[in-house]
Amino acid sequence: MTTAALENELKQTIIETLELEDVTPEDIDPDEPLFVEGLGLDSIDALELGLALQKRYGITLESDAESSRQHFANLKSLAALVESRREK
Amino acid sequence: MTDLYLQDWRGWTPHRDAGNEARLDTRDKPAGAAIPSLLRRRLNLIGRAVCDMLLDLDPAADHVVLHASRHGDGDRTLEMLYALNAGDPLSPARFGLSVHNAIVGVYSIASGNRRSQQAVAASGGEWAALVAEARGYLADGESRVLMVFGDQPVPERFAEYAPATPSAAVVLQLGSERKPGARRLEESPADVDTPAPQPLDVIDWLMAGDQALACPMARRRWQLVGEP
Repeated sequence: MTTAALENELKQTIIETLELEDVTPEDIDPDEPLFVEGLGLDSIDALELGLALQKRYGITLESDAESSRQHFANLKSLAALVESRREK
Repeated sequence: MTDLYLQDWRGWTPHRDAGNEARLDTRDKPAGAAIPSLLRRRLNLIGRAVCDMLLDLDPAADHVVLHASRHGDGDRTLEMLYALNAGDPLSPARFGLSVHNAIVGVYSIASGNRRSQQAVAASGGEWAALVAEARGYLADGESRVLMVFGDQPVPERFAEYAPATPSAAVVLQLGSERKPGARRLEESPADVDTPAPQPLDVIDWLMAGDQALACPMARRRWQLVGEP
């Protein structure tokens, strides 16, 4: 899967999992922050997204806040996490 | 005992006509326009209606809020039970919103209202419990409180264990002082065997204006007195 295709898949996952009713994939800029600023997601979304990554890609995140912060910074970093750690 | 005055109200239900009553919204899907979309996505229909009505009655969001629902959000709770049964991890968002104070919690985040909030379930005695709580806050010095009563049908799986519950929500603003247009809420003993009042019954009672609303569990009845 190319990086662009993975980014698109992640955009769809974010919109569906988090029920972002007014957001389209084009609205999610791969370089913009996902949380607080940018897309404006919150801590419950972070937990929900972590669960989606576990279900869909078999990725279990470590409970280390700093590394999670880096992985969830924006869509690009999230795609990099999935590419390097996916098990399915 | 502290007198209670009904100062204003708002209602939502798709299950009756509004007639000329501007305070009643009968749309199938309430707008939820008072809440930013990132918070609104977490609310069910009752929640959207309640948040809109609360902010319409109290734009400054500085009143105490009492919230009652007999059944709460049975759909989300049942979905979580299905997930547990299947051995799946629980959805954090679903868990957070299945609690009984979820709607007023989202309302307080969106509106910045940091006053006291209470979430009540009373097995059919919700209306009586709300009035008792409201009287307590007003006796304690609050000038007015907002009383929310909302319910939706229980999931099909539980339908035989609960009375049919049409979707409806109502918000009443009660105060201890008689203001122009306010009507006094008169409470008296009543030994009746009528069904437990639901939110739609409260809306019907408000719309009629001259009838009694009885709560058999509390053995009390309420009537609005004074000019409408």
